[in-house]
Amino acid sequence: MQSNAYTLIFTSITTIILGFLLSFVSISLKDTQQINEDIDIMKNILYSLEFSEKDKPWTGEEVKILFDSSIIQKVVNVDGEVIADLVPSEIPIDKMETQFPLYIKVVNNSIDGYAIPISGKGLWSTLYGYFALENDGSTVKGIRFYKHKETPGLGGEVEKDWFTNNYVGKKIIDKNGGLVSIQSIKGQVDSLSPDAYHQVDGISGATMTTKGLNEFLMNDLKKYDSFFQKVRMELKG
Amino acid sequence: MSLFDSKSRQVLKDPLMQDNPITLQVLGICSALAVTVKMDTAIVMSIAVIFVLTMSNTVVSIFRNMIPSRVRIIFALLVISSLVTLTDQYLKAYMYDMSKQLNVFLALIITNCIVLGRAEAFAMKEGPWRSFLDGLGNALGYGIILVAVSAFREFFGSGSLMGYQIISEEMYASGYQDNGLIAFPPGAFIILGLIIWVQRTIGKIEEE
Repeated sequence: MQSNAYTLIFTSITTIILGFLLSFVSISLKDTQQINEDIDIMKNILYSLEFSEKDKPWTGEEVKILFDSSIIQKVVNVDGEVIADLVPSEIPIDKMETQFPLYIKVVNNSIDGYAIPISGKGLWSTLYGYFALENDGSTVKGIRFYKHKETPGLGGEVEKDWFTNNYVGKKIIDKNGGLVSIQSIKGQVDSLSPDAYHQVDGISGATMTTKGLNEFLMNDLKKYDSFFQKVRMELKG
Repeated sequence: MSLFDSKSRQVLKDPLMQDNPITLQVLGICSALAVTVKMDTAIVMSIAVIFVLTMSNTVVSIFRNMIPSRVRIIFALLVISSLVTLTDQYLKAYMYDMSKQLNVFLALIITNCIVLGRAEAFAMKEGPWRSFLDGLGNALGYGIILVAVSAFREFFGSGSLMGYQIISEEMYASGYQDNGLIAFPPGAFIILGLIIWVQRTIGKIEEE
C-alpha cells in the first residue's frame, strides 16, 4: 500500500498532464469546429427554405456558395422595419430582444420565402431550429431543428421528416388576419375541423416537447408579426 | 517471448469469438442497441472504441506498477475519459455530421463496461504489449457484433446498406414494406438475442 503523499502527488500530476493535453487539443481544434457549426446552421436555413440535396450530400464549400448566392440576410425590429446595413451576426447583445434576424430566399430577383430562427424549451433541453414562410407571409414553407437534446424516438422525432412535412402548407393566420401560429395537437388532425388549417399531427409520447414547441413557435412568430403583416399588406396592394 | 507467441495470439483471438465481450460477457449492450440503426454509425463507433480501448489498456499497463492501488479505478477512468474526449473533439472537427448522429453515445464510451473491465481485469496485471492486443481483440470483438447487428437492422429496417439503397423502388411499389420494429431499439435486442443464441449453439457453450 502506497503512502497518502504518493497517492496525492501521483493523481495531481496525472490530472495536470491530462488536463493540459485536453485543453491544448480543444483550443487547436476550436476553429475547425466553429466552421462546421456555422455551415450546419447555413445548411438548416437552406433546408427550411426548401432547398434539398439531390444526389449526394453538400460539401461545406457548396453550402457556403449556395447560401451566399440565394439568401439575403436582414435584420428587422419589433415594428417590422428592416434595419439597413445590419446583418444577423452583428446584432448588438443588448438589442437581441428588439431586433431579429431574417433570411430571405431570392429566386430570379424575386422573393421566394422568409426564414426565421426559432428556439425554446422542450422537455429536457432548448430546441433550436428555423421556420420558413412563403412569400405571402402566411403559408408555412418548412421547419427544421438542428440542435436539441430531446429523447431519441420520442421528443427527438421533431427533427424527422414525417413530422416537419406536416407543417408545410399550413397557415399561421386566421381568416381575419390574426396570428394563430401552428399547433401540434394530440393525435391526428381532423381534416374536416375548421381549425385544421393551423394544426399538425402530434408525436405520441412527446406531449411536453410538442407543448413547448407550440409555445415558443407562437412567441417567436409574435416577434415578427408586424413584419409579416406588412408583407401581407403589400401583397394585397 | 516473441511478439506473437501462442499466449499473445490467444489474447487477441479469444474475444473475437469464444469470449466475445458482447455476446458472451454481455457487456456494452447499451451502445450496441443505440448506434446500430445504420452501418456507418456502427463502424465509426467501433473505430472509436478500438482507439479508446487499445490506448487505455496500453497506458494503464505501462503505469500499472506506479498506480496507487487505492485510486486505480479513478486513474483508469481518467485515462479513458481523456481518450474519449479526444475522440469526441476530433470527430466534431473532422466528421461533424457523424458526431451529431453519435451524440451522447460517443461520450458514453467512458461508461462502457468493456473498457473499464479490460483495464481492471487485464491491463493492471499484464505487460503493455499483451494489454494492447487484449484491448484490440476486445474492441474488434465488440465491433464485429456491432457491424453485424447494424447490417441486419439497416437492411430490414430501411432497405439499404452503408446508405446505399439495396431494395429497389419496384419492390416497394409491389407492396414490400420496411420492418419498422427492426429500426427501433427492441429490434436490436431481438437480433442480438438471435446472434447470442446461434453463437452459443454452434460453439456448444453452456451456462454453468
